[in-house]
Amino acid sequence: MRATRQSATLQGLCSESSPRQGSPTGREVTSTVITFDISQWRAWAPGLQTPDDWQSWADHDLHPCAAEQVPDVSFLPAMQRRRLSPLARMAFAVGWPLAEGCEPMPLVFVSRHGETPRTFSILSDLAAQQPLSPTQFSLSVHNAVIGLWSILRGETCEMTALAAAGDGFEQGLLEAAALLREGAPAVLLIIAEEQPPSVYGPWIDDVPFGYALALRLTPGRQWQLALGHPSSPDAPRPALPHALSWLQATLGGARSLSHTWNRRTWNWQRQP
Amino acid sequence: MSDPQQDLNRDLKQLIIDALGLEDISVQDIDDQQTLFGEGLGLDSVDALELGLAIQKRYGIKIDADAKDTRNHFSNVATLAAFVTARQAA
Repeated sequence: MRATRQSATLQGLCSESSPRQGSPTGREVTSTVITFDISQWRAWAPGLQTPDDWQSWADHDLHPCAAEQVPDVSFLPAMQRRRLSPLARMAFAVGWPLAEGCEPMPLVFVSRHGETPRTFSILSDLAAQQPLSPTQFSLSVHNAVIGLWSILRGETCEMTALAAAGDGFEQGLLEAAALLREGAPAVLLIIAEEQPPSVYGPWIDDVPFGYALALRLTPGRQWQLALGHPSSPDAPRPALPHALSWLQATLGGARSLSHTWNRRTWNWQRQP
Repeated sequence: MSDPQQDLNRDLKQLIIDALGLEDISVQDIDDQQTLFGEGLGLDSVDALELGLAIQKRYGIKIDADAKDTRNHFSNVATLAAFVTARQAA
C-alpha cells in the first residue's frame, strides 16, 4: 500500500487507487480505504438500550427477547411522534441523543428493507381494492424517516437514505466518509431494520430481531475500513447483521474484523 | 337516555383519535366546537385526508375533496356531525 498517499489524504475520506486509464468498467479498482473516528454510539433492540445492556449482550451472546418491540420516544411531543413507525422510532431513539446539543450535522440513514409493515398494509389494501391510507402512503417511501427527522429537528442539513444489500452498514460508512471529506465536522449514521411481517419470511433472513445503531462520526484515524475481495469464493457471511456483528466484536475488544457480502469483503481495523 | 346527537359527536371524536393516532388524547379532551385543523387540536392536511377516508368508510358517505364547503364541514366535531347526519339522510 502507498503509505505516503494514505497519510496525506485519509482523514475520513475515501481513496481509490484505481488505474482508470484503460479500465472503463472500474473492475481493476484494487482498494477503497476510509478512516474515521467514532465519537459516540447508541444502539437499540428489544430489551437492549443502554451501553451496559449491550456489553452484557456481547459478553454472553444473548438473543434479545424482551416483550417491548418498540423503543420509547416520549422525548418527542405526542402530536409529532404519533405517525412514527417502529422503524422510525428505533432510528429516532438511537439518533436523537447523539444529535442533541450538537451543531446540526448531515445524516446518513441506512435500511435494507425499510418500512415493510407499511408496504404490506398498503399492498393488502390494494389487493382488497380498498382506498389507501394517505398517512401510510406518504410515509412509505424510503426517505420518510429522514424527512421526519428534518421536520422534527428543524434541520436542513444534507440527508441521505440508502438501501444497500447486506453490507449497507459499510456502504453507509462510505457515504458518511465522503461527507466528512467534503468538510462536514461530524456525520450521523443510523442503521435500522424492523422485523418484517411474517409473510416476508421466505425472502428476508437477515433481521433476527428489530435493531438500530447510530454512530456519530468525526474525521480521524481511529478506525480504518478497507474494501477488498473475498479471500475465497465461499467466504462465510457473518452470523449477525453487519452492524450488530461489528458492535459485538467492538464491545469484545476486537481490533480487526472482516465482513464478506457477495463479492465484497470489508476489512475493519481499529488503532490501538 | 342517550342523545343520538351526543352519540354521534362522541363516535366522531373516537374516530378522530383512532384514525389519526392521537396517543395522548381522550374523547373528553375534544370539545364539540374546538377547531380541528391548524389551531385548536392542531391537525394538518394529511390528517384531513385520513379523516375524510375514515368518515367515508365508517358512515358510507361520499366526500368531494374539491367541493367548496368541504372545508367548512371539517371545522369542528359539531359541523362534522351535522354533515354526516345530512349526508346519511340524503
